[in-house]
Amino acid sequence: MTNINPYIQVNKLDFTYPDGTKALDDINVLIQIGEFIALIGQNGSGKTTLSKCLNGLYKPTSGEVLVESLNSKNTPIVQMVRRVGYVFQNPDHQLFNNNCWDEIAYGPRNIQLSEEEVKIRVDEAAHVVGLPEIFYEEHPFFLSKGLRQRVAIASILALRPQVIIVDEPTTGQDSRQSIEIMEFLKDLNEKHGHTIIIITHDMYIVAQYARRVILMSEGRILADGLTSDVFSQPDVLQKTFLEPPQITQLAQSAQNLGFNPGTLTVDEMVNQFDALKIK
Amino acid sequence: MNKTLLGYVPTQSPIYMIHPFVKLFFMLIVSLFPMFVAAPEWNMLLMLILILFMWISRVDMRTLKIYVPVAVSMGSIIIISYVIIGGTHPEFQLIAHFLGINVYWERVRDAIVVYFRILPMIFTMVFFLSTSRERDVIVAMRTIRLPFVVTYVFAMALRSAGMVLEDFQIVRQAEQARGFDTAGKSPVYKLRKYVNYMIPLFALSLRRSEEFTNALVARGYAFTGEVSKVKRADYVLTHYSFKYYDAIFTALISLTFIALLILRYGYQYFSVDESVLINWLRNFFL
Amino acid sequence: MSVIIELKDYSWKYLNTQQPALDKINLQIEEGMFIGIIGPNGSGKTTLAYSMNGLIPGQYNGIKNGEVVVYGREVEQYGHGQLQKIAGMVFSDPEAQFTAMTVEDELVFGLENLGMSIPEIRERLEWVTELTGLEKMLLKPPYELSGGQKQRVALAAVLAMTPKILILDEPTTMLDPVSRRRVFDVLAKLKNEQHNTIIVIEHNLENLIPLADRMILLSNNKLILEDETHQFFQNMELLTKVGIYPPGALRFFYELKKAGYTSNTLPVTLPEASKQLKQLFG
Repeated sequence: MTNINPYIQVNKLDFTYPDGTKALDDINVLIQIGEFIALIGQNGSGKTTLSKCLNGLYKPTSGEVLVESLNSKNTPIVQMVRRVGYVFQNPDHQLFNNNCWDEIAYGPRNIQLSEEEVKIRVDEAAHVVGLPEIFYEEHPFFLSKGLRQRVAIASILALRPQVIIVDEPTTGQDSRQSIEIMEFLKDLNEKHGHTIIIITHDMYIVAQYARRVILMSEGRILADGLTSDVFSQPDVLQKTFLEPPQITQLAQSAQNLGFNPGTLTVDEMVNQFDALKIK
Repeated sequence: MNKTLLGYVPTQSPIYMIHPFVKLFFMLIVSLFPMFVAAPEWNMLLMLILILFMWISRVDMRTLKIYVPVAVSMGSIIIISYVIIGGTHPEFQLIAHFLGINVYWERVRDAIVVYFRILPMIFTMVFFLSTSRERDVIVAMRTIRLPFVVTYVFAMALRSAGMVLEDFQIVRQAEQARGFDTAGKSPVYKLRKYVNYMIPLFALSLRRSEEFTNALVARGYAFTGEVSKVKRADYVLTHYSFKYYDAIFTALISLTFIALLILRYGYQYFSVDESVLINWLRNFFL
Repeated sequence: MSVIIELKDYSWKYLNTQQPALDKINLQIEEGMFIGIIGPNGSGKTTLAYSMNGLIPGQYNGIKNGEVVVYGREVEQYGHGQLQKIAGMVFSDPEAQFTAMTVEDELVFGLENLGMSIPEIRERLEWVTELTGLEKMLLKPPYELSGGQKQRVALAAVLAMTPKILILDEPTTMLDPVSRRRVFDVLAKLKNEQHNTIIVIEHNLENLIPLADRMILLSNNKLILEDETHQFFQNMELLTKVGIYPPGALRFFYELKKAGYTSNTLPVTLPEASKQLKQLFG
């Protein structure tokens, strides 16, 4: 985080829904290129609203969201989505074309790229998510849930946004599928240089993959920092009825034996055990 | 506040004393009144009475503000369509000439009459919708002993409409998130794009319908299509009793309607020629 | 304890599929047990659940082999709605399960279907709203409830019919952590106070393990492991191989055991793990 100019700047952001519900209250966040962030909190804490403010789907009630110095308030949505992509939780909400090729091409066509450029983008995005060409002509409806999710992500990737926000990428997936999706996001982050923001309830996924955690509650940010730092404050988490992953809780229960309360993974725990035993 | 089909009513309101059937009956009968009343002043009186009822029921009047633009634009459409494209007749009396358009008194009169017929009908609907919840409609239907299948299908239709509306919002946002922008596009283009919404909505309902059906079966609901052999108790109806004043209200509504018909067709009341307001306007213009 | 559900060489193949969804399952479930079913997606968990409450073969087309016996009778022998009275089912999508326009209508719907009288319905309704903490929500329409609240309504609607067996198919998959805990709190209450037989399909093992008496592992449409919960999780190699990732504490102790630091039975819950860790440091 040595970069001086953050890619996204959120200043004193308030957001109130038309029916009067205040969803965001004085949000201040800076996001740098290359970060991997987990946005956590209970339903209704404002995670999704904040994400939709970041890509211009929602305009701030007051305060501002700057993406690459563009103010979301007066930037057309077409310009915003080229910078910040948002993958909705349920793939069925976002697949509205008759075959996968058109689905992925939908975004590039909306931003009025030439057909040659659209083709390049589709092939590139399909390649990154690992969607074989034989699926191009398939109707998305008939694909498995995992593949549909990939098509949904590819359709966002084709816009080549710097930041990709994924809403609950692992809901309804089993452990192996979850890990596959997360490894894929990790690749996008490490190999392709995308900034990744995930919204999730799975603290194990957070501990394993996110380098930074933003904890929200009732429209406010309660904690924002390195994952291990946020997870080593059980009292803050408890306020929002969240628990750190089990391995972190185990380390915290054995803090007096010398374990680090910010332990995130089983490997870290085993290494500490080795070191402590040798002593 | 309790949310109703349209707007809000406080948790304490005299409207809760009224049986849902009376509300539905009121809506169905009173919205017919303007069909038999041409004189605008009587229709205005009906509107005032409806507003009074809303005030007594403590409907949140702020939510009614959205109808002001509706009423205004509807009024303009009616006036324009009657005056400009209403056509003419040798006996029509010209009252003004403006921008090359001849404005005839008869057309203006008809526009006013129609406008003040439609407004109270809408007010009756708004009164009903802003004091009733989905459940009231269903209870009212069950009170008049409509078969269970009918009311249940109606309830499920309401429920699925709710689900589809929620999905629709998300699908629209998902399109926007892919750079879809209707700003400055032609209506034909927008209409064509609406077709796009149908695909995911259809997909979602297909996927949900399986679990929806299973949930019904798991609650012991048999999709036999034939009349169930089990005699169903209607528990929810026990919360609602048809009290003596409900009967009085129902009778009052019916009697008013009958009186209205007699006055209209027996004694020619409420006609345009009898209207004090219209006669006054005629003298004003001519 | 008596066996109330028994599957004998049971196979089921959906119409239009090549592979059977369940392949030669043999299983006995005793009265009052809390059973956890785990396995990768597509391994047949939902099919197994549907087979035990009659949705299969009732609602689906396919080919059945072997027997599924519930309380001494084959599932096909139950009349319309009879098996549902005995084996209640809760599904994963809270949205799709809410079929009425208020919570109260939703809760009494099943009771009316059973042909109960109004005083009986009233009594059941009071009992189940208190049990599930829904007292303040009875008049709410679905769009004013969160997903977690809807799921508790779905659970209550099934409980109101007082089934002896309760089957839940990924009941907390779509919920946030608080709602998830609420659902498991209700399940704990049912286990301890009502002594229902409860069968839960769940990916979230941390909540499931402390409640489960026995666990079942499905993989590739076969039942490959069935045991008492502690014993079950001693098979870490097998679990990891089929793609199950048990909670962190278990995996940690499994690593310690492989490295030769301990030869104890692997602890399955956090308090057990914490205690064992302290013992290792004397």
